[in-house]
Amino acid sequence: MPFSLRKRQRESRVPIDSFSDIAFLLIIFFILTTSIRRLTGFNTELPAGDKSATPTTEKTPTVGLQVDRVLFNDSPVSLEELKTQLLARKFASRPPGDRVVLLDAGAEVVYQVYFEVMSIITAADGVVGILSEEEGK
Amino acid sequence: MKLRRKRRGPISMPVASMGDIAFLLIIFFMVCSNFAKEANIRYKSPSAQDVAAVREAGLSVVVDDQGQIYLNGRALDSAATLEGMLTSMLRDKTDAVQRNVLFKCDLNVARKVFEPALDAIVSAGGVVVAVGERRRKE
Repeated sequence: MPFSLRKRQRESRVPIDSFSDIAFLLIIFFILTTSIRRLTGFNTELPAGDKSATPTTEKTPTVGLQVDRVLFNDSPVSLEELKTQLLARKFASRPPGDRVVLLDAGAEVVYQVYFEVMSIITAADGVVGILSEEEGK
Repeated sequence: MKLRRKRRGPISMPVASMGDIAFLLIIFFMVCSNFAKEANIRYKSPSAQDVAAVREAGLSVVVDDQGQIYLNGRALDSAATLEGMLTSMLRDKTDAVQRNVLFKCDLNVARKVFEPALDAIVSAGGVVVAVGERRRKE
């Protein structure tokens, strides 16, 4: 009886029929979980270190934040006026130590107001210096 | 004369390249997406006119509407813990951009609640990137 020594080799195939189904499932997952929205905000230059070392001269502009109003050098101003006054100081052409704007906020002032004022100071190239009361006072 | 009917073969759509296209799309989404670690944190972003596009940073601090502080989606017990963790995370970062810390805070949180978190970021050597939405001029 003749035996053929040659084994018939079967054609080997990787089953790839369901690849595209898996791929489309993954795409749907990514589409649902991805947020296209870009982050917006601003970098704040908050000086680090001891708070008492913050240069507080008479000339240092101070923004006072209270629950119901905003003060610039103790005079009530609107946010637009604050922006105009800070831009008029041309901080960009000054050395960093001369660009400090002190932010004196009351304890109950909400972040929305704080954020707006910080964005205005930063847009005017100012450096935000945070004034805070010492504990116990 | 007898006319023969033309035999129609089965109609098939060319789907051979569908898988390739799908995988290209997956690669695109994988490269472009960041997983939202803070999806379960409840806070409303503040808005201002003077904001610009900012880059994503590796570190993100959130103060939610209850005043709870989170670092990269993980709840922390105090601002002191935040400072300690940030200090160790920022120890090897020499580049200013690498020291950026995104700061997200609910718009109704009072200063006495969020300022310790801000102080902690600055004390740890981080650069605060305040995140909020752009408000159109009225």
